[in-house]
Amino acid sequence: MKRKVACVALMVMLCVVTVAGTASAQVNWKQFQGTEIRFLMNKHPFTTFIEPKIPDFEKLTGIKVVFEVFPEDQYRNKRTIELNAGGKLDGYMIMPGQDDLYYWKAGWLQPLDAFIGDSKLTDAAWDPKDFFQSFTKASTVDGKQIGVVINAETSLLSYRKDLFDQFKRKVPATMKELEETAKFFYGKEIDGKKMVGITLRGKGAAATSQWVDFLYSFGGSWTTPQGKSNLAGPGTVASFKFYGDLLKNYGPEGGSMLHWAESTSMFMEGKSAMIYDANVFKSLYENPKESKVAGKVGYAVIPAGPAGSVPHVSNWSLSINKNSTPERQKAAWLFIQWATNKPNALGALLVGVPAGRASAWDSAEYKSKDTQPDWTANTKKSFELGQPQWNPPVINVPEIRDITGQVIVDAIQGKDVEASAKKAAELMDKKMEL
Amino acid sequence: MSTALSTISRVIDRRQAVIYPAPAVIVLFLIVVLPIVFNLYLAFTKWTVGLGQPRFIGLDNFIDLVSDERVWNGVKVMVYFSGLSLFLELVLGLLIALFFNREFRGSEVVQAIYIFPFAATPVAVALIWRIMLNPEIGVLNYLLRSIGLPGSLWVSSEQTAVLSLVLVDVWKWTPMITLIVLAGLKSLPPDPYEAARIDGAGTLQIFWHITLPLIRPVLIAALMLRSLDNLKEFDMIYTITQGGPGTASETLYLYSYMVGFGFFKAGYGSALMVVVFLIVLVFNVVMNRLRLSAQNR
Repeated sequence: MKRKVACVALMVMLCVVTVAGTASAQVNWKQFQGTEIRFLMNKHPFTTFIEPKIPDFEKLTGIKVVFEVFPEDQYRNKRTIELNAGGKLDGYMIMPGQDDLYYWKAGWLQPLDAFIGDSKLTDAAWDPKDFFQSFTKASTVDGKQIGVVINAETSLLSYRKDLFDQFKRKVPATMKELEETAKFFYGKEIDGKKMVGITLRGKGAAATSQWVDFLYSFGGSWTTPQGKSNLAGPGTVASFKFYGDLLKNYGPEGGSMLHWAESTSMFMEGKSAMIYDANVFKSLYENPKESKVAGKVGYAVIPAGPAGSVPHVSNWSLSINKNSTPERQKAAWLFIQWATNKPNALGALLVGVPAGRASAWDSAEYKSKDTQPDWTANTKKSFELGQPQWNPPVINVPEIRDITGQVIVDAIQGKDVEASAKKAAELMDKKMEL
Repeated sequence: MSTALSTISRVIDRRQAVIYPAPAVIVLFLIVVLPIVFNLYLAFTKWTVGLGQPRFIGLDNFIDLVSDERVWNGVKVMVYFSGLSLFLELVLGLLIALFFNREFRGSEVVQAIYIFPFAATPVAVALIWRIMLNPEIGVLNYLLRSIGLPGSLWVSSEQTAVLSLVLVDVWKWTPMITLIVLAGLKSLPPDPYEAARIDGAGTLQIFWHITLPLIRPVLIAALMLRSLDNLKEFDMIYTITQGGPGTASETLYLYSYMVGFGFFKAGYGSALMVVVFLIVLVFNVVMNRLRLSAQNR
C-alpha cells in the first residue's frame, strides 16, 4: 500500500514537473535579446526596490532597460508631456484610478490581454489569478486590462496604541466614536506636548483621496446614477461637514494646508493621537530613525458611517505605451511580467510595498517576518471592503479634484458647507468630461 | 579657389551687420518669439494635451475667462500681492539705501550680509520659509510664543496667506532695490546739497526737495525691474502655498500654470497667459512713460 502511494505521488510529481517545465519552456526569455526599452518611473518604494534588480533581468533576457525616475509631481507632468510628444518611451508607472480614462482616450495605453493570453510571451508561473481581483479590475478600462499592479494601497486609521491603553480608550468603530476619541485627546498634555486628536490631509485637491473614504462611508458619491455631479447630495455634504469639523476642531492648526507630508510628520512627532491616511505610510511611522512613535502604533479600518465602512483601494500599475513599436512592447511586457512575478511581489512586500498578489501576503516567509500583524490583517480587510472609485469617474480628474478640494478647504475654514458644495456641484457639471 | 574665398570674405565684410548677430537672433527667435506666437495661437483653440489636435474656437476662451471666478480671484490676489510687496520694497529699499549711503565702521560687511537674501536661490529659500511659516512646527510661532505673543496661522489661513507671502518677498527682494538706489545715491552731484546746506535747509527738507526728485528716475527704474519679476512671481508662491489655502494666494499666473500643467488644458491656459502678458506689458509701458517724464523734467 505504502509503495503504491509513493508510486502515485512520484508520478504526480513527475507530471507537475513536466507540465511546469513545458509551460516555462514555451517562453523564450531571450527572444528580444539586444532590444533596448525605456521606462519612466515615479520615485516610489517599488522603484527603489526593483531598480537594483534590473541587472538580473538584463542577464536573463539580454534586453537593456533604461530607467528614468522622477519625484511624483514632476513625474506626472513629464509622463503626460512625453507621451504626447511621442518620443521613445515603452513603459511607465500609472495610477489607473487617477489617469486611466484620460490616457485611454489619448491612446497611450496598450491593452495587455493579448500578451497575457499568449503562452509564448507569458509564463504560466506568472499566474494572473493570484492578483487580487479588485486591483485587476481597477486596472481595466472598457474591459481591457491596461496595467499590472505593483503597489496596492488603501487607507487605514492609525492610532497610538500606547495612549489608547493608558487612557483605556477603545478603537473607534463608528464615525461618532471617532469624533469622541478625537475630542478626548485634543488638548491633552502628554510628554510635555499638547496633543491634537487626529490629523488628516486638508490641502484641497490632495485631501480628496482620503476624504473619499468618508464620502462613501456617509453614503455619498461623486456622481448620481444619471452621471451628474453629486457633490451637493445629502451624504456627500454630510461627509464634507464631518471631515472639515473633525480637522478644524480636533486637528492641527492650519488644517487646510496639510498635505500628507505635514500630516504624517505631526503623527510621527507624537503630537497626534490618530491619523487617517494611506496604509503604506506604516513604513514611515515604524521607522525609528524618523518617527518618535515607532512600535506604538495600532491600525484599524475606517470607522463605520451611516453607510458602513467603505475604504477605497488604489494602485500603482506598470503599463505599456501604445505608440511604442510591437517588438519593444513585447520586450516591455517581458519586463513587466518579470517585475511583477511572485518572487518580486514577495520581495517588495518584505520591504514594505503592499503587494497586489495574494501569494505574497500568504507566504510563510512574510508571515514569519511580519512585525505588525494587525496592520496586515486590517490592510487585507480594507482590500476586501474597498471600492476602486477613489477619484471622480471623469477624464479631467485633476480639475474635478481641485473643485472638490475647495469644498474641503471651505469646510475646514468654517464656511457654509452647503453653499460651497452647491457651487462646486454646478462647476463640476459644467467642467466634467466623461 | 582663392577667388571664391575672397568673394565669401567680401560678402561677409559687406553684410557684417546681418551675419554677426544672426546666431543670437535665430536663437532668440526660437526660444522667445516662436513660443509667444505659438501661445497666442493656442489661446484661440480648445486643446487638452493628448486628446486630439488643437481646435480653433475663436474668442471662446476669452469669453469663458470673463465669467471664471478664479480668474478674478487671481487678478485680485495679483494686485494685492504685487501692490503691497512692491510698495514695501520700494519704501524700505530707499530708507535702507539712505542708511547705507554714509561712512560707518564695518559698512561693507553689513552690506554683504544684507544682500544675502537676494543672492540666495529662490526655491531653496522658499522651502525654508515654508517650514518656518508652519504654524505647528515652524520657528516663527515658536519665537512669537516664547515672548508671550499668540502664534499666527501664517500661510495656513486665508486671511494671512498673501500677507505672509508679501513678508517673504519683501525679505528677499528689498536688498535688490537697495542696491540699485544706493548706486543712484552715490552718483548724485554734491553741488545742490552744498547750496542747500548754505541756505540752511534741514535733513528732511534736503531729502524731500533734493534727494527724492533727483533719485526719482532711479526709483522708477528699480520698480520696473522688480515689477517684471514680481507680477509673474511663481517659484516662491508655488513652493510655499501652491496658491492655497484653497485659492487664497493663487495669482493669475499660478492659475494659468495650474490650468496648463495641472489640468493639461493648453488652450484655456494659453488664453490666461495672454492676459498675464498683457497686464505686465501695460504696467511696464506706463512705468516707462513715468520714467522718461521723470528723467526729462
